Amino acid sequence: MLSYLLEMFRQNSVGIPLITRKVVLYHTANKIAYIPPLTSLFAKIPILNLIVALIFWKPFFAVLFAPGLVCILIAILFIIWFERKVTARVQWRYGPLEVSRNVGGIIQPMADGMRYFFQEVIVHREAHKPYFLQFPLITFLPVLLPILVIPAGTIYAINTPYSILVAIALISLIPMIIVAIGWASNSKYAYVGSLREAMMYFSYEIVLMIAAMSMVIIYGSANAIEIVKEQSTIPGILLNPFAALAFFVAIAMATSRFPFEIPEADQEVVFGPFIEYTGIIFGVVMTLAYEKLYLLCMLFSILFLGGWNGPFIPPLGDLSPALWLFLKTIGLMMIFVFFRTFYARYRLDQALKIGWSKLMALAMVALITGLGLGAVNVMGWL
Amino acid sequence: MDEYSIPVPVKPPAEIESLYLPVPPWLEEKSKEGDELVLFVGPQHGGSGHMRLIVRVHGDVIREVIPDPGFVHRGVEKLAENKLYIQNIPLVERPAIMDCINMSLGYVRAIEKALDIEVPERAKYIRTMLAEVCRIGTHLYDAGILSVFLGHTTGFMWPFALRELTCEILMRVSGARITASYVVPGGVRRDVDRGTLNFISDAMTYIQQKSKDFEKVFIRNPVTIARMKDVGVLSRKEAIKYGVVGPFLRASGVEYDVRAVEPYDAYDELTWDVIVADDGDSYSRFLVRVNEIQQSIGIVRQCVKALKDMPEGKIAVDTKGKMLDSVKGTFFRTFGRLTLPAGEFTTLTEASRGTLLYTIVSDGKSNAPYRLRVVTPGWYYLKGFMESLKGCRLADLQAVYGSFGYFPPEADR
Repeated sequence: MLSYLLEMFRQNSVGIPLITRKVVLYHTANKIAYIPPLTSLFAKIPILNLIVALIFWKPFFAVLFAPGLVCILIAILFIIWFERKVTARVQWRYGPLEVSRNVGGIIQPMADGMRYFFQEVIVHREAHKPYFLQFPLITFLPVLLPILVIPAGTIYAINTPYSILVAIALISLIPMIIVAIGWASNSKYAYVGSLREAMMYFSYEIVLMIAAMSMVIIYGSANAIEIVKEQSTIPGILLNPFAALAFFVAIAMATSRFPFEIPEADQEVVFGPFIEYTGIIFGVVMTLAYEKLYLLCMLFSILFLGGWNGPFIPPLGDLSPALWLFLKTIGLMMIFVFFRTFYARYRLDQALKIGWSKLMALAMVALITGLGLGAVNVMGWL
Repeated sequence: MDEYSIPVPVKPPAEIESLYLPVPPWLEEKSKEGDELVLFVGPQHGGSGHMRLIVRVHGDVIREVIPDPGFVHRGVEKLAENKLYIQNIPLVERPAIMDCINMSLGYVRAIEKALDIEVPERAKYIRTMLAEVCRIGTHLYDAGILSVFLGHTTGFMWPFALRELTCEILMRVSGARITASYVVPGGVRRDVDRGTLNFISDAMTYIQQKSKDFEKVFIRNPVTIARMKDVGVLSRKEAIKYGVVGPFLRASGVEYDVRAVEPYDAYDELTWDVIVADDGDSYSRFLVRVNEIQQSIGIVRQCVKALKDMPEGKIAVDTKGKMLDSVKGTFFRTFGRLTLPAGEFTTLTEASRGTLLYTIVSDGKSNAPYRLRVVTPGWYYLKGFMESLKGCRLADLQAVYGSFGYFPPEADR
């Protein structure tokens, strides 16, 4: 049984030459010294070999490392630091600096996270206690489940022809949980904040889906691997710039970036649905918007920027496309967080109006463009 | 969570329920009937300042806002009755410390009115110059608060960085960055030398140049305009009816400025315009103050030029009208045990946020005021502020708040 599992894991494992090859330390006339490869270190020990094989099993690796949990963590830690640093630079300040001065305070978010860990978690009397504590943890479900169907090059968990659709459907579960958090908090500000979140959900969701659909129509497939293969000559943003713009604005709305930072407006509703959270749970719900940003930026780069297309780096092997996808995603996230420096926030009714008039018109133009390009089979011509 | 009740034989007094509840108990029930939500904004809220706003919201539209000020009430009027006249100068600055010169100017002028003394020319110009520097500082401060209320953090940091220059000017002239206590009966505390005047001139140029960047990033920002245009409108009639003062009255189309109507100090010798807007919405209330910064820079420049042409020295007079080069040594002898003639002495001052009224009632025998009445602009326009919120969206609460530059310590005194 175990050997069968081991065989299954090893057949579909991630190939990274950097750590699976033997590295020659030195060799003289009659001696050659190797560093044994990391993966073969535990190859003969009964249980450990199974664990190591499991870690490098592609579905597991995809969810846990790239593009999954570890990549999300790195992206969040970097982007929070970058957001604070770039905002500070624009505003004639230093930003995070004192924690790790030599590298510009880059581990400041980690220090903040540790601070959250040691803070008291207060559950107020009016809260629906089980839900109040559960929902922040349940948020990881709709954040990590889309990773199953979003591939990073050859690393993927499930290869399905509906990957883009499934990913978008799972991502759109996140607002539900935010609304549920607001309900469980049982506070007036959380109520107003959840209402705002629900309203924002109405204003961007359809545009987001239409923009994604218009690209799916052009490529003739909703499989992310197919879509990226189609973009090897010309990226999707040049084929249908309207869809890219609509998708871009919809991401800003979906992840409450400026100028649409409406549900969590701290001067108006004081973090809205998350007002009652303290300690590490507040840390968890605060990263929720960034996790969503990561996922949607990944979708944007797959749909419009050619996904993991990029020069192949031999020592990284399977990780090379994952790295390109990660870099594109981070670049997009940097653009989104930079909006903080030069935008105020819109009012809720104005955001709704933008979502249903201008943005919807743009999405319709994108859909018509997509239908036209799909009808003439532009991918076949290219 | 288990709750334990401790049997304490003492019952809380009835006043705790009757006095300390921010709203009458029936308000909550009545609002539920009218499909409303009663929101308590403040005093511990990112967008409330040191006061509580009790907001009745129907859907997303504000029906009524009930102010609950007084959280930073320090009893300036009562404290003033127990202090010497000159000891009150630092006290009356405390309500609005970034506007210190204007705050003390009104009080000192009331004393001078009672003693019937004329301030030397040089002191007049110095007072006017510093009052305008304080006005610039206060308007920049309010612009920063407005920006951060709208979520624009860059618009918050830049004016606050520029305000640093006005603090620096005050420090070089008086020795203190805020709460300068620089204006004294009969003149000013010390002279301004040529180097400081050059610095003030340079600082004004810098503020003028940098406020162009601020204009690009915040004032002409489409999101800012969308948030503030046609929000919290007070018509000309309403503004007069509710007793709005200062730049907020002028934003509604009323050309009233104490500096122009009853000029004090050197204002009648300088050329400047009274800025007036017609719309009466949040954006015009903000723009009026933005343009007033430019006018103030002009006034400061004229004062610097006039002060450079004047001979140095002669910055104060004593109670008998004798010119003094410096108040050092003589000041406490002449003004320390000052007793005003019996009567009531009132002055109006145009502070940064509007008309500021001081009334000193003296019994003619005591060396402390019998009564000091201070009506600050914040208190004047609180009613107008509350009225303009009716019919706005809930998110507009902060936009209107910031556009009024409401400063609870000043209003509460």
